[in-house]
Amino acid sequence: MEDKITVKDIFWKFLKIGSFSFGGVYSMLAFFERELVEKEKWLTHEEFVESVAIGQMTPGPPIVNTGICIGYRLKRIKGALATTAGQSFTGTVLAILLAVFYVKSKGNVLLTSVMKGVGAAVVGLLLSIIFKMAKTTIRDYKAALFALTAFFALALFKLNPISLILASGIIGLLVYGRRT
Amino acid sequence: MVLLKLCWLLIVINSLTIGGGFVMLPMLQKEFVEKNHWLTNQEFLDAIAIGQLTPGPLTVMNAVIGYKVSGLIGAVLAMVSSYLPCIIIVTIVAKYYYDYRESIIVQSSFKGIKPAVIGLLSAVAISLGNTALVDPLTFGIAIISFAVIAFTKTDPSFVIVGAGILGAVLL
Repeated sequence: MEDKITVKDIFWKFLKIGSFSFGGVYSMLAFFERELVEKEKWLTHEEFVESVAIGQMTPGPPIVNTGICIGYRLKRIKGALATTAGQSFTGTVLAILLAVFYVKSKGNVLLTSVMKGVGAAVVGLLLSIIFKMAKTTIRDYKAALFALTAFFALALFKLNPISLILASGIIGLLVYGRRT
Repeated sequence: MVLLKLCWLLIVINSLTIGGGFVMLPMLQKEFVEKNHWLTNQEFLDAIAIGQLTPGPLTVMNAVIGYKVSGLIGAVLAMVSSYLPCIIIVTIVAKYYYDYRESIIVQSSFKGIKPAVIGLLSAVAISLGNTALVDPLTFGIAIISFAVIAFTKTDPSFVIVGAGILGAVLL
């Protein structure tokens, strides 16, 4: 079965997936599974679940990483490149078009009011993301301490977030790394 | 030089984006807005909005930042630099999945990074809130957006479009 899949097939499939990928992570993953596991039978349910797990535990957008993992399983590095290119093509083109429009109409009164509303919504969106992440991640006082320390280090002491993420990884290793 | 710096920063930032696309934001804001002044806080907010409106992950906002920094080439190189670390890391992890999953180093460092990221994002939310929330109306839009996205299953894209329309009519 896997021998018949070409890199082109993978690109087109992921172009379709990437172009219709509005909505949350879960609706996206359901779409992935329907297209790749049920319709095309490119991989089994177990392989799919494993790819999702890898997508979530690697740096970068989990959905794209899941795609990279599936592409790599199917056609090695060429497959990984095809899924990335396919999945990000539509979004990137649209974003560039919007960016061109945005830069050209800078100072337009209507656009300024639209973006004032949009900016406020983005702040609300960010708060809801923080709320959802906190609900699943902050389960004990140690985790709360990590969050509070990072908050003050950035908000008050203006430390660099790149260093702060690296530091919290190292401290995590020291605190949680002992084998029990 | 600017392009090289842009690519390098995006490679580093995306290598450290652990736990979802939003994790990029504190790093992007510090490097692009505060340190290099390549865009303002308002433009950063707008880039997030565009990244959220377009299909695909939030990472697409890096194309907007790249475009702002140096046009079309900047946008394309920004996307390549954003995905390069993902491709390298994921293909390696896919090969050694079982070792990686069981690795104490990976597990325990992620356990520190994930809550820390929430603190960093909260600081970013305050800084962006200072820029975006300037009157009772913008405050109201932010609170309603928060409630709708946090407690219903509405797609954030609809909320952003709705807020844009409200902005055009009321602000």
